[in-house]
Amino acid sequence: MTFLEKQTDPTAPMHWRGNMQADYLYTSGVAGDKLFKHIMKNDSFLAATCPKCNKTYFPPRLYCEDCFCEIPENEWIEVPPTGSIKLATVVTIDTYGNKLEDPKVVGMINIDKTDGAILGILKTDNFEEELRGVKVEAVFKPKNKRDGTLKDILYFKKK
Amino acid sequence: MRKVAVVGAGMTLFRRRLLETGKELSFLATKMAMEDSGVEKKDLDMVVMGSAPDAFDGIHMKGENLLDGAAAANKPYVRVFNGGGTGVFAPIAGWWHVASGVADVALVVCEEKMSSCFPHPQTAFQHIWDPVLDRPLHPNLIWLFAMEMNRYMTVYNIKKEDIARVAVKNKRNAVGHPCAQLPDEKITIDDVLNSEVMAWPVQRLDISPPSDGASALILCSEEKARQFTEDPIWVDGVGWNIDSTMWTNRDLYFPRYVANAAKMAYKMAGIQNPRKEIDFAEPYDPFDYKELHHMEGLLLCDKGEAAKLTREGVTQRDGDLPICPSGGLLGVGNPIAATMGQKVCELYWQLAGKAGKRQIPTDPQVGVGQAWGDIMQMGTVIVLRRG
Amino acid sequence: MGRYYANGYCYCSEAGVKKMMTTKKEGYPKYAPGTHVSGKDIANKNVTYTWWEPEVQYSWALGPANSRFLQELKKGRIIARTCKKCDRVIVPPRMFCEYCYRPTDDWIYLKDTGTVETYSISYLDPNARRIKDPILIGVISIDGASPHHGFMHYFGKMKPEELHIGMKVKAVWKPEKERTGSITDIKYFKPLKGGGK
Repeated sequence: MTFLEKQTDPTAPMHWRGNMQADYLYTSGVAGDKLFKHIMKNDSFLAATCPKCNKTYFPPRLYCEDCFCEIPENEWIEVPPTGSIKLATVVTIDTYGNKLEDPKVVGMINIDKTDGAILGILKTDNFEEELRGVKVEAVFKPKNKRDGTLKDILYFKKK
Repeated sequence: MRKVAVVGAGMTLFRRRLLETGKELSFLATKMAMEDSGVEKKDLDMVVMGSAPDAFDGIHMKGENLLDGAAAANKPYVRVFNGGGTGVFAPIAGWWHVASGVADVALVVCEEKMSSCFPHPQTAFQHIWDPVLDRPLHPNLIWLFAMEMNRYMTVYNIKKEDIARVAVKNKRNAVGHPCAQLPDEKITIDDVLNSEVMAWPVQRLDISPPSDGASALILCSEEKARQFTEDPIWVDGVGWNIDSTMWTNRDLYFPRYVANAAKMAYKMAGIQNPRKEIDFAEPYDPFDYKELHHMEGLLLCDKGEAAKLTREGVTQRDGDLPICPSGGLLGVGNPIAATMGQKVCELYWQLAGKAGKRQIPTDPQVGVGQAWGDIMQMGTVIVLRRG
Repeated sequence: MGRYYANGYCYCSEAGVKKMMTTKKEGYPKYAPGTHVSGKDIANKNVTYTWWEPEVQYSWALGPANSRFLQELKKGRIIARTCKKCDRVIVPPRMFCEYCYRPTDDWIYLKDTGTVETYSISYLDPNARRIKDPILIGVISIDGASPHHGFMHYFGKMKPEELHIGMKVKAVWKPEKERTGSITDIKYFKPLKGGGK
């Protein structure tokens, strides 16, 4: 069934403008807090290995998703901040569709000695070259400027 | 339809802000339910997640975000949500899975992280209002409940003292609960009546706090239940009902949606005289007057009678009809959906005789849990029975 | 079990409390997992966190009913819809009746007077900050509409003590050139002279 009244005046239907304003504070979680506090003081990463299936999680977790068991403290290991690029792409426009002055290269980087990966910005001048498999290492902010978030990793550069 | 049993339950600490992420909270609650019952991830057939607005956690599509903490990776999974009603609706959805025969063991997890919304979850609540008719007036959610409370008090001529008595009872009851956020052994009616007025007639101690937390429940078919426990508690009846969003076009003194949901659940459970046949109840109590409002909605007493029963001590833990023996939302905390911990997990623990310091002394056999959600619209009811 | 009364409220009886506290069966939940983080922990950065300020803009289509409702408010009038089947006069208007589940039938103008259905006296402003002079807010059932049908709005030109359920009120409009087609084209509802209880 349809409404009994026809709209014949095209200017009659109105719109109401507004926004959904709210700010967010995300705690890093038990595992995330340990990782970020470690990165604040050291130039390396932490990973966690499941005692049952031996999968090494990066970023480290409180629990293994598959075995569904808690990963204890002693299964956490320190790993160097190096890895190899699994996937990469060149970003030329921003969120609103405006062209970026300097294109960015963003990649998913497999972290060495773990079964996990992380997204990161790749510092490179050559946008044409094949990036898959290339070895990279993380460059961090100066220690006194780190604030315990993912942004403490500035970018990844070729080793 | 098959018989469905509850075999395990778990819940986390409830506090204004917890360090754990939503996934970690879901994991902690699920782990407790699994330890309790002996069920492992490989035994689970399906998982149901109940979680209220994405706007609190600040993660869009938060059902997808939470699933690995809820043992749902590589399993059939669904998220259900109807505001505050989710705490009882998620177990109802879990019941559908098992009663229909598509699953033998279903895990139900409810999680809420209200602290992410800064500076206060009220900011996210602003977006419930209609953008055209209500938001330009810049309303505060407390106004809404103050208006409902006022209507209820005026229609039945109920005094604030009788309503404050509920807050005192629940905060005292919460003293036996390890997860409780605001237990208070010494609180009195005068403390509640002298607390600051937020939006008359609502005062500070009339309201439950926003919280972070998670809870979990494991439901099984009859045969599987006997594998995990000697003492399964049966889901005897479920009911759910929702009223129109146009709250300014309804008389708010009686929650007819709760009554409709209750009738549906009682019919399924074969209950004809709720006041006599039900041993205890966990109605939803985010505000103290809501416990009275919902007692009437659950048909546990006549309209307008709930305040009298509270005054006479009938609803105390050792009374004739204990109400909110867990301490309810007023005492334990209000992480919207995760209140399943007080409303359904508590029914399970009481019926199985496992409630420790909170145990009702009169050996209960049948309990009813209820939740309420959205803009005073949703009523969800569940009846659990022993043996 | 027995109860006793003191200081105006009811305690669990001594025997009842004793039984509860000495029960031998262990209590569930046996422990409460979770790590509390206080406001001070956040302020002192004892824990790491990520801050995010999303920017989301919306343009909500009003639909025929609310469009007409707001256009009429701009002209200083309140309009409603009728449902012939359940015999309701519905305000705010809608193009379908949610109970009969059929389209509504006609437009009808209503007066700008009504009765207070319920109200609250708020000492909190919209951002939950305390204010000294309260905001008076409530639901007004509009005259001419079905019983208990109306909308939320402010009250003004009255003291908080005068406000009561059942009070007769009248809308106070903004001057014509200030009206924009919004619920705020009505400033507030004031007591109807000659109304009273």
